[in-house]
Amino acid sequence: MATEGRVLKLGETAPRTAWRSLLLTLPIAVWSFLMFSHSGQPGRSGKIATIVTAIFMITLFFMMMRTWSTYRWRRWFFVALGLLFPVGFIHNVMVMRGTMGIPIEEMIAGRTPLCYLPIPLLILPAAFTKTLVFPGSILPNGGMSGAGMAAMAGLWLAITIVVGKGWCSYACFFGGIEEGAASVPTRAKLRKIDPRWRYGPWAVLLAMVLLSLALFESAYCMWLCPFKAVSEYVAARNTVGLIQNGIFVVLFAGLVVVLPLLTKKRTQCSFFCPFGAFQSIFNKTSVFDVRIDRTRCSPCVLCLNACPTMSLTKESIAQGETLMSCMKCGACVDVCPKHAAVWHIKGTEVANKPERARLMFLYAVWGMAIMFGGSIIAQGLATILHVFV
Amino acid sequence: MKPRARLGYTAAGMTVFAALLVPFLLLGLFAKGFAALGFHVDEVYSGGPKVRTVQSGAYSIDIHRPVHPHMLQTEKPFVQLDWRPVSALPPQVSDLVDVDGDGQPDIRVSFDVPKDPKVPLRVNVDTLNPRYEAMQYAGKEKFSKLIVRVDDAILVRVPLTRP
Repeated sequence: MATEGRVLKLGETAPRTAWRSLLLTLPIAVWSFLMFSHSGQPGRSGKIATIVTAIFMITLFFMMMRTWSTYRWRRWFFVALGLLFPVGFIHNVMVMRGTMGIPIEEMIAGRTPLCYLPIPLLILPAAFTKTLVFPGSILPNGGMSGAGMAAMAGLWLAITIVVGKGWCSYACFFGGIEEGAASVPTRAKLRKIDPRWRYGPWAVLLAMVLLSLALFESAYCMWLCPFKAVSEYVAARNTVGLIQNGIFVVLFAGLVVVLPLLTKKRTQCSFFCPFGAFQSIFNKTSVFDVRIDRTRCSPCVLCLNACPTMSLTKESIAQGETLMSCMKCGACVDVCPKHAAVWHIKGTEVANKPERARLMFLYAVWGMAIMFGGSIIAQGLATILHVFV
Repeated sequence: MKPRARLGYTAAGMTVFAALLVPFLLLGLFAKGFAALGFHVDEVYSGGPKVRTVQSGAYSIDIHRPVHPHMLQTEKPFVQLDWRPVSALPPQVSDLVDVDGDGQPDIRVSFDVPKDPKVPLRVNVDTLNPRYEAMQYAGKEKFSKLIVRVDDAILVRVPLTRP
């Protein structure tokens, strides 16, 4: 295969033409216009932030089309999401209540915004007693800034139907923080990780589901969520509260910053996150997945090393599959020199028109990324720009 | 094309179509559907449903149904009383309240109403009925024992003695 006067090496792919890439990007540009004109940020800084975010998202998609590469461009979006979410969110809660600690009166008033992480923990108490063990609002537009439980449950369900476990790569505003930390070092200092750690999220999920049912509170939010350190937490009113907040900070520093820096893996997602484990179930219902074409695979295990969530093993590669925890980030597809790791639509032949599968997946998932993550990026950016503009 | 492949592409196409519908239809539909499922927020947070209202001059006291925590929940059972509107409350409130509706006062609740809503509230509760626990200079230590200002009301939660 030749391009621009030089011969490409095995596995190298000629870039798509700019015109064709633009044409493929056009639907996303139209979608961005629809989404950002519908939910743009207020004020001059907000307008600038909205325009910059729209251009950012469209450019990344264009680059995905032009270079055939998914992971490295997605990572720009995802890290921006992870870094800008706390900026916008913390600013919002500081303006509304003057503290990141949730005062007890706000909880009683049902104004605690629900994030998606405790959703699996609410299911059993709700199933047995019709009670939601979260101090939020059930009204569709209730809660702080309309971030009530119904709104978040609706958002989660709608996006999960479309992207399944892809949530963890294209929607989770917390995952971007550790992906950012994991992308800092050029090489992992800590390479040998006991594969049994993969069961960590399932163990945490099981323990938290049972504890939440027994204690009738979202036990993960109260005791174990590392991201309380960069969002909001129950205001410490006594020694127990101080211990809880100490745990949040230690878990955040360890799992979201230090370990990703040492391992180049998303350690919180891979070894701890109960929501991630819960979301893995939806890999079974999603029509899109990543497969390994065994006829092309050497196997060089580059994909195994590149996977940020340890969702590939030698055995799974031999079977041509990823593990259930695969979040469709595309790292393995990008790194494979023989194009053996491919995007795939269930029911079709593996490696039969993988680019068609990738395109269909990306249109769906990037549409959701613009709608959900794009608005969060714009909000965070507007908060920063507000200082200067 | 094999039927399985045809089915796969159809499902993939439907997924892309569903993505188009998310912001315009599915989000609102699912949120409304969730709200219509009839769930309620745990009464330890919400304070339980209001059962009676007692008028006391320019203001009223809403009395809620006693809340009994579930299983291993660490809070004590409690009853919530709401004084509202805050603007009609005198600087010092001291009311005898018949909580259980038997015609006899059960507790005396006393608290100051500072003009600045940010000033922390403190409450004293003297019991005339052993079913209720006394409170001395209580703030907002626990969900089952507190005084807080929520919007236009001052909420007092009085713990119940365990049977």
